[in-house]
Amino acid sequence: MQERIGVFVCKCSTNIGNKIDVDSIVSDVSNIENVVTAKSHNVLCSNEGLEFLMNEIREGNLSRMVIAACTPKMYEQRFMNVCEASGLNPYLFQMTNIREQVAWVTPDKDLATEKAKTLCLAAINRISFQESIEKKEIEVQPDVLVIGGGVAGIEATLTLTSRGRKIILVEEDDDSGTPELKQSAQFRKVYLVEKSPCIAGFSGRFEEVYQTMECAPCMLAPELQEVLQKDNVETLTYSEVEEIVGSFGNFTVKIRRKARYVSEEACIGCNACFEPCPVEVMNQNNLGLSKRKAIYIPYAGALPNVPVIDKENCLHLNGKECNACEQACAFGAINFEDKEQIIERNVGAIILAIGSKLSDPTQYPQFGYGKFDNVLSAIQIERLNATNGPTGGKILLKNGQEPKSIAFIYCVGRKEIGYCSGICCMYMSALAQHVKEKLPDVKIYSFYTDLCLPKKEHQRIFEKVLNKGVEFIRSDGSEYVDSDGKQLIVKYKIESSKKSQLIDMVVLAPPIEPNQDIEKLAKLLEIPLDENGFFSEEHILMKPYAAPLEGVFIAGTCQGPKDIGDSVSQASAAAGKILSKLMLGEKLELEPIVAEIDEEICCGCNICIGLCPFSAINRDSERNIAIIDDTLCRGCGTCVAACPSGATKARNFTLEQISAEIREVAK
Amino acid sequence: MAKPKVAFYWCASCGGCEEAIVDLNEDILKVVELVDIVFWPCAMDFKYQDVRNMKDNEITVAFINGAIRTDEQEEMANLLRKKSQLVIAFGACSHMGGIPGLANFWDKETIFESSYGKDCPSVDNPDNIVPLTISSVPEGELKLPAFHNTVKSLDQVIDVDYYIPGCSPAPYLTMKAIGAILAGELPKKGTVLAPEKSLCDVCERNETKPEKMSLTKIKRISEVIADPEKCFLAEGIICLGPVTIAGCTNEGSGRCITANMPCRGCYGPPPKITDVGVKMISALASIIGLEGEENMSEEEVEQLMSQIEDPAGYFYRFSLPKSLLRRKRMN
Repeated sequence: MQERIGVFVCKCSTNIGNKIDVDSIVSDVSNIENVVTAKSHNVLCSNEGLEFLMNEIREGNLSRMVIAACTPKMYEQRFMNVCEASGLNPYLFQMTNIREQVAWVTPDKDLATEKAKTLCLAAINRISFQESIEKKEIEVQPDVLVIGGGVAGIEATLTLTSRGRKIILVEEDDDSGTPELKQSAQFRKVYLVEKSPCIAGFSGRFEEVYQTMECAPCMLAPELQEVLQKDNVETLTYSEVEEIVGSFGNFTVKIRRKARYVSEEACIGCNACFEPCPVEVMNQNNLGLSKRKAIYIPYAGALPNVPVIDKENCLHLNGKECNACEQACAFGAINFEDKEQIIERNVGAIILAIGSKLSDPTQYPQFGYGKFDNVLSAIQIERLNATNGPTGGKILLKNGQEPKSIAFIYCVGRKEIGYCSGICCMYMSALAQHVKEKLPDVKIYSFYTDLCLPKKEHQRIFEKVLNKGVEFIRSDGSEYVDSDGKQLIVKYKIESSKKSQLIDMVVLAPPIEPNQDIEKLAKLLEIPLDENGFFSEEHILMKPYAAPLEGVFIAGTCQGPKDIGDSVSQASAAAGKILSKLMLGEKLELEPIVAEIDEEICCGCNICIGLCPFSAINRDSERNIAIIDDTLCRGCGTCVAACPSGATKARNFTLEQISAEIREVAK
Repeated sequence: MAKPKVAFYWCASCGGCEEAIVDLNEDILKVVELVDIVFWPCAMDFKYQDVRNMKDNEITVAFINGAIRTDEQEEMANLLRKKSQLVIAFGACSHMGGIPGLANFWDKETIFESSYGKDCPSVDNPDNIVPLTISSVPEGELKLPAFHNTVKSLDQVIDVDYYIPGCSPAPYLTMKAIGAILAGELPKKGTVLAPEKSLCDVCERNETKPEKMSLTKIKRISEVIADPEKCFLAEGIICLGPVTIAGCTNEGSGRCITANMPCRGCYGPPPKITDVGVKMISALASIIGLEGEENMSEEEVEQLMSQIEDPAGYFYRFSLPKSLLRRKRMN
């Protein structure tokens, strides 16, 4: 069949019209073989322009179309829609950019015209090699994976599962033939994956959190219970995500569920198994401030209230004779045969809410952390302050006595890491306030260099602490901690004069750092981290809740340090976006520009398989070829470049198409 | 009816392709029964004039092996084209330039220098005598065919109808081609008369290869004793099998592979590949250092790649004149 190519050159009003001799291009290209119509238009993207195109395609019975106008990033999709509406496959249309790449950058009109003409000819050369591509749809997967069971993960989970969708089925009644309405509902399911044995994350350990000075475990408990009891939430604690393939609307996730050795169904949380266990180890959940057994829950009140057996230290699991916990359990919940499992789930979107951590203060040796007793990190004094902590809420020195003086040192490591963690000033102030309430006679010195009090409540809380007699000392950031053998000494400088202060206890506010798992997840999803190692946003101002990969969202402190309120807001935003994008029962259009393999050429050399960043290529051993799963392929072209036999082709970017274009330009 | 007429001719080649005809063994008798061999300077006494005396298109098919490097070869190629209905580029040199095509990394001057110059260890040539197109001797003037700067494949000089690939072509492919010509069952003009799939398709070692190909160490075949069962490439020995069509043997893994040598690429690439070297470099670059690639410095990548000795020679061993490069640019 003879091709019927239409070429349309847009003047973009004066943008192109004044800089390029559009009419000469039109008259030159109209002589090219198979070009049946070549016309210029003042503004192709206007409603009138789109109508003009539609008429041209229909009346000219065009089989292919070239538009020379602005960057395809602007209106390519609009023109493709016109093609579709006019019965022309949108992939038989090619757009070439003569505005940004010619009119705006080439002042000489003759040169610009020449250049624009070359680009038009290249596009006309290419268009003959283009093929129509049919779009495919798949059933959208409305379920969501939430990674991380802290405040952000919990909030996202609850938002996502708050509403279902009513489905009305109309069925003919067999006997009477009258239609019968049947109603049912479809609910979105959320898989909440948490690495540790319990949910609630970091915040669950804090006795009183600013700004409300509420007890965090109490504040969170109802939400945690709701998550654990909801039918459409599957909470997978003590689990880690191992593999993610697929794309928005259709991810397949593999989750490694570690052996807990205690049945979550059978256990009632009576804790009778702890006492008989003969093993004692440091409890890292209390930051090494107390001990725990080999069968334990991370802290009192942790949810789900089901212990876990630590397989490194359990005698039974290390071949020794002990089944003390098994004997103590009246419910048969102990299962030494428990095995790690790999669970596979399909989801349409993913929320990353893996939180962050306080950096280890030993990195900043000037503060004597780890060297002197009674130099604590802020999270350690939080545990001392907590009624479910190691001292039952008493602030005590290592020797069991109450401190008479405490130094709070702010901004530890801020200069080194290069960013302000933003919440330390507030939590240190809140801590000082709690301590002052518990120990009214304690003398508190707060060493700071700058204060960060940006929110509406912050200044007020700060002033309250100030009024309670906490002495704020602005130093030049050169503080260090020493000891005279009996007491600690904080040495500091004010306006280059050296000072020192004898102290019983020092509390450090180290920076908030990305979690150790962040790199693994970033790699699994092929998404970037920012220069500080937190997840990068799609746009830091406009889309701070989304990763730069469709269908992947970020919430809470894995995106950057923030307080509980901000984490909850971000989690709600991420969940809201998913609710609006991933509608229950909708179809999802697959990316049509994907790679495909010519089975007549593929020799099964395997070179492409390991390269695919989306795990979309598999080997068909029967036929000795590679096959591409087009629901997973995103058309990046890596396999096309690597394929040594030329069997792999990138749709709409074939060698013939690109060569045809280059040949014209390089003439 | 007169028997179809067949011509064989050689250009810049080693003579292996002539051997490949002789290797038809008793089959050659079948060929002679069906056709008249009207020109085969290597085996029988014909003169150029005999060809010149023929009518245009008188020869049914001319098999021309060897690359084009001299005036004489170019002239004969043109003459045979004129006198033949079909021209078949026979063998790797004719098909892609072959081993003589590697001379395109040099030019006439540098080649003469290395072959006749004072630094050539096997030549004693104090008067610096080099071949000249015309040289005067007391007896008169002597003429030699001019030596070109650039070696060309046959289709860069004349129109070629089909290709029989290989260094040298497998006799069974030649017999199949002759059969197809006589039966008039030829595919589209320009086709390479061999399988379209790459060697891995038939290679028995293919099954031993891991699904994820990743290399960190490149080994030269001369430095190791290759495992006779494992995929060379997976073992770090560069094998051009993935970028070279099968066909060098009628069955089994292929000639070199069976002799425990990696494929060197003489059968040329599958139909859609225009440049063997670029494609193999692209494939190798994709799998070298695949693990932890993102953490590598430029120098580390360079180090990995520099393990490949003489990449240009290795990847373009048979195809330099037909590649996008065609030749090295000389100053």
